[in-house]
This record gives sequence, C-alpha cells and structure tokens, in this order.
Amino acid sequence: MNSFADRFSTTGTAVEQRRIKEYVADEEDVSDSMWGSEAGFGTIAHGTPNFMVPTVPDPSAFLRLHTDDHADPSCRIKIKHGTTTLAFRYQGGVIVAVDSRATAGSYVASGTVKKVIEINPYLLGTMAGGAADCQYWETYLGMQCRLHELRNRERISVAAASKYLSNLVYNYKGMGLSMGTMICGWDKTGPAIFYVDSDGTRLKGDLFSVGSGSTFAYGVLDQGYRWDLTDEEAQELGRRGIYAAGHRDAFSGNTINLYHVQQQGWKFIGNYDVSEMHYNGPTGTAGYGYGVRVEGRSSANPPA
Amino acid sequence: MDISFALTGKGYVLVAADTTAARSIIKMKSDEDKIKVLSPHLLMAFSGEPGDTVNFAEYVERNLRLYHIRHTYPLRPASAASWIRRSLAESLRSRSPYSVNLLLGGYDTATHTPELYWVDYLGTMTSVPFGAHGYGSYFALSLLDRYHDPEAGLEEGLAALRRCIDEVSKRLVVSPGKYKVKVVDKDGVREIEL
Amino acid sequence: MSRSYDRALTVFSPDGHLFQVEYALEAVKKGTCAVGLRGKDVVVLGVEKKSVLQLQDPRTVRKVAMLDDHICLAFAGLNADGRVLIDKARVECQSHRLTVEDPVTVEYITRHIAGIQQKYTQSGGVRPFGVSTLIVGFDPNDTRPRLYQTEPGGTYSAWKANAIGRSSKTVREFLEKNHKDDLSRDETIKLTIKSLLEVVQTGAKNIEINIMESYGKITALEQSEIEAAVQEIEREKEAEAERKRSRLAATAAGQAAMSQAVPGQ
Repeated sequence: MNSFADRFSTTGTAVEQRRIKEYVADEEDVSDSMWGSEAGFGTIAHGTPNFMVPTVPDPSAFLRLHTDDHADPSCRIKIKHGTTTLAFRYQGGVIVAVDSRATAGSYVASGTVKKVIEINPYLLGTMAGGAADCQYWETYLGMQCRLHELRNRERISVAAASKYLSNLVYNYKGMGLSMGTMICGWDKTGPAIFYVDSDGTRLKGDLFSVGSGSTFAYGVLDQGYRWDLTDEEAQELGRRGIYAAGHRDAFSGNTINLYHVQQQGWKFIGNYDVSEMHYNGPTGTAGYGYGVRVEGRSSANPPA
Repeated sequence: MDISFALTGKGYVLVAADTTAARSIIKMKSDEDKIKVLSPHLLMAFSGEPGDTVNFAEYVERNLRLYHIRHTYPLRPASAASWIRRSLAESLRSRSPYSVNLLLGGYDTATHTPELYWVDYLGTMTSVPFGAHGYGSYFALSLLDRYHDPEAGLEEGLAALRRCIDEVSKRLVVSPGKYKVKVVDKDGVREIEL
Repeated sequence: MSRSYDRALTVFSPDGHLFQVEYALEAVKKGTCAVGLRGKDVVVLGVEKKSVLQLQDPRTVRKVAMLDDHICLAFAGLNADGRVLIDKARVECQSHRLTVEDPVTVEYITRHIAGIQQKYTQSGGVRPFGVSTLIVGFDPNDTRPRLYQTEPGGTYSAWKANAIGRSSKTVREFLEKNHKDDLSRDETIKLTIKSLLEVVQTGAKNIEINIMESYGKITALEQSEIEAAVQEIEREKEAEAERKRSRLAATAAGQAAMSQAVPGQ
C-alpha cells in the first residue's frame, strides 16, 4: 500500500487519499521544513484560498470549448457579457454607476440586472465580464470581509479586500474566469477605488471604467472630471457616463444604477432609464441626447 | 507593451520604466510605478504578463525583506539577482510560470560597484553595462552601444537615457507618454524627475 | 500521510490537566527572566542575559528579536524553541504585508504566535513549545505602546507590565507594587532595571534593555548607560536604607526615652 510505486502513481487508492488530503487543505502541516529556514527565504505565499476545479484534463480548454460564443455561436453555454461600469473618486467620496443590460450573444437576456454588488455597508463591487463569476466571488469576498472584521475587530481596508479578490482570481489564472471589477469603498485612509480583473491585475486609481462600453464612458468622464466636483455634479457625471455608453454600445443600456460612497458608507442614489435620460434627463427638463440638446440649432449659414 | 531601460555609470545605476497600465486599447492608468525598491541598494524594473508582474515583484520584495530581518544584513545585488533568477527558473518549470522580465540595478556597498542584471522570464540572467526590455530595446540597444560611457557622471547618464526615451517617442508607433526614473548609488535609492 | 498514524503526546490527565503543557511551563520557569513595561508613550523590554562562557561570542546568544520594523519579541524558556517560533513570526509579518498591504498589529502577531503554540498542544507527534514570549511594539498609525504575553498553552493577554521566566513571580509582584500609569521614558527604563535587579544578582553586566519609542524607532541601551542606572538605583536604595536605619534609631531612641520617663513619673 505504501510502496514506492503507489506513492507516485496517478491512479489507485493512494492517489485518492492524496487528493482528499489536498482538499482538506491542512494550512500549515507539521512538516520537516518547519525546523529549517529554507536558506533564509520563506514560503510567504500562503493565505490565499484554493478551491476545487473540474476533474477534466484541461479545465480551461473544456470551459472554452463550451462557452466561446465568439468562435462558435452554437456553443452550449453562452456566458453573459457586455457591460458598462464606472467609478471615480472625488472630493466628496466615490461615485459608482453601472448599466443594467445583460446580453448572451446578440440576445438581450435581461434589462434589470444589478451590476453593483453590495459587499458590505462600506464596500461596493462592480460587475463586468462573467456575471456568475463576479456575483459568486464578490459575495464570497463579502464573507471573508466579515470574517476579517470579526477576527480583527476592525473593518477591512479597501486595499486588503481588493487584494484578497485579486489573489483569489490570480490562483485561477488561465482557467477561464472572466471578471473586470472595481472594488470601491471608504476606510481609514479615505475613499478608494481598486480595479481588479481576472488576469490578476490590480490597480489603485481615481477613475476607472470597465466593460464593452467603457470607451464611451471614458470619453464623457475624462472631459467632465475634476477633483473638486460637488456631490450633485459628480452624480450627474456618473449618470452621463453610463448614458453615453448605453446610447452608443449595443451591449449596454436599459437603466442606470447610481451609488455614492461616503464616510458613513454607501448610499443608493437611484435607478434611471437610459431612454428617459436621452429625452428628458433626470429632472425631466433637459435630455442628455444629442438631438435633444441641439434641437432647433443649425449649421446652415445662408447669406443674409 | 511595457518599456524599460537601465544603464550603469560611474558609481550608479539608472533604471527607467514607462508608467502606463493598459488593457487592450485602453490606458487604465498613466502613473503606475513599475520599478520596485527591493532593499536599500537594490532596484527592480519589471514587465510582462499583467498580473504576474506585480505579483512576482511583491513576492520578491517580501522575501528579500524577510532575509534582511533574519540576517540583519540585506543580500548583495549579485546574490539577490541569483535568487530572483532561480525563482523565475523554478516557476518556469511549474504548472503556472511567471512571465516576467526584469532589470535589476543595485549598488554593492562592499565593493563600491554599481551592478546591472538583465533577466528574462526564461530565467536567463546576464550582467550588462546597459539593458532594455520590450519594444524599447530595438531602438535603445544600438543607441547605447554608440553613446554609453561606463564612466559617465549622473548628468551624462541621464542624457543618454533621455536619448533612448526620445528615440522611442520618435519612432515607436504606440509609444508611452511618461517614464519613471530611479537611481541607485552609494547613498541608496531615489527617484529622479526627467 | 504518516501523521494520521501518530499519537498525540499531549493528552488529558484524568483530572483535566495537560501535563506536557505544564511541563513546558516548568521549562519556561527555568529560562532567564524577561520584563516588559509600558510607559506613557514608550515600551521597554528588559532581559536577563545568561553569562556566556569565556570563549563564547555573546552576540550569538540573543533573547530579543525584531519581528518586523515595529515589533520586538523577548522570550523565556528553551532557546531553540524560541528561535523556531521567531522565524515563523517573521515569515508571518512579511506574509501579512504581502497579502493585506499593511504591517501587522501587535495583537495580530501575538495571536498568530499564540495560535502556533496552541497548535502544538493539539497535534500528533509533536511537543509544545517550551517558551513564553513578551511581544512589544506599536500598531501602524497609532501612538499607544503595546505589550502582550503568550504562553506554551497558546493563551495570550495584554499587560501594563509583566515578567516571564525565572523568578517572574517575584518580579511581577514588585511591578504590581511599583507600576504607575503614564510613566515617562526615563522612569519606565529605571523601573524595568529596578525590577530586573530583584532577580539578577550580578547587576548591569547581565542586563539588556531595549526601548521602543514610536513606530519603528527602537534603541538598545549601552552597557555604560545600564551601569549608570544600576548605580543610581543602588545609591537610592542605600539612601533609603540609611533613612530607614536612622528612623529606626530615632524611634528606638524615642522609645528608650519614654520607657525611661515612665519609671521617673
């Protein structure tokens, strides 16, 4: 049973046991290495979670085979893609705005998706890429944040929360996860935004937009952004950013969800219909649309 | 897309890297620091696969710090470079290798020499008087063959570096806008505004 | 794999004791004494150094170690066990910086160390660590000094002042009598040395003092400074004894006078 061949074989009961032991994940076993010092270097990279993957030879190839609607429109699983999300930091906190359309291929699967995930009263995550991936892992992140709170009698910092998520998705790099998310919140250091994606990239910044409509949102956002925006101006800028993407990007639209993060936590500002914004604007007096804005104006220059 | 340069001069090493973080056609950030300060006299410019780069750099940073705390003294540049190279070589033969290219600039306080190592993701390491990674290397290497002087003072070194950056801006289609420049010499590490 | 076949060494006795843990505490009591003292904005670690052999290099025998820029640890008990524990703590400090991007808090690393110690009372094939530790330092972005203690069983607690190791009971009782809140830097150092002198007969040459004044600022007291402090304390003790003696003499004289006066009445 404990023969040399058993120990190194890839089938049989010994392997089964080995696999079970791996899943049980004895974080720090009592091993020989604990006595030595590994020549001055440590195995620092623990503390990141590990989960089961499907038992097929190549999980990522398996997933790609059945989900790549771009290469094979008749694939079995069409993952919901196409989004616009944005978040920016300014004098009064963080504005988070997202659209609400979910598309699977060219089909609009839903127009009422919640793309802001309320991790806890001080943390928001946005959702772009695979809807299920974002929803599942950000909810999971919420659990870990709560555990951190209970263990350390202190709210988790935005940096730590985002790093937890980025380490987590980094462990699955190349296995088919698809997420582009912004972790937004307020901690001891003030308002903060971190962009985290499934490549494992994690960037701290003042202004991000993610998703298929992000270029359109950036166009409006970058031009209107200042640090000393008032709360009203900032909320308006967030709305206009998503509206622009909802208008120009086929995979974004329906409605806008707007959040404002302040010291006392996040606040839901409202849900706005993109068409309504186009014609009438949030107050019903001035629509965002180009046609609405320039109505009655003409470039014709006839001689007087 | 990342571009990094490094060159040695009389008693110093200059390391420069662009500051853009891009995803497909979008610049997500334009002030990203891609040069890590690993110890009081050691710098590392890193580029390559997004995600891998920062992860590997931070892993190295913490391990060298741990070494420093355990042994009171930090690793000398040559030893640090060897350890980093080996980490990359081991990772290359693992299930998920790091795709990271490095330029390691250090000042050996024991021998009073600046040292520069060029390391790629395959675990190739070589000690060089100047080096570059990314598209910048196609322009800068020939340029530095012509203009690099191992005895150049800091100002002359910066001038050579400026030549590299200007050349890339002039000829490369998608040239980055800003660079971060750091220098390491007998007094340690500091950042320089170009 | 083989671990599952091992038997735990630390098992309950019928009356609910873990003998191995209690023996570990005995090992701690045999170790040299360490004292930790919290002042107003300073925290001091004092340890009794074993006298090294004539040809031994004293720098290689250390009871105090930095865990990170802002945290310091002293232990009492088995040196070899202490070294292993310190190493694990150092790795955790860097690991914490890597995963959370913040340095550890003093409580966090204390809890981690206590956690390791606890694990070794409940695992198969291992014995508990024969060390108690005193952990001092400052939390990031905080000015309050911290002092914690851990024990072989894995318990941990915060203190104003405490001692571990040989004769720690005597020292703790001394501290209980003499500790005041909000001591200044110099008072804290002095009280630390004074308390150590309760058990260190050989004086200054066997005392080591480390002072942490704020986040990352740690200094070791020079041998000459310790000697000066010891001398001052001895002078004060001398003066105190002198006063006591004269007071005693005075009362004795008074009593004698009284007793003489009585018969005269």
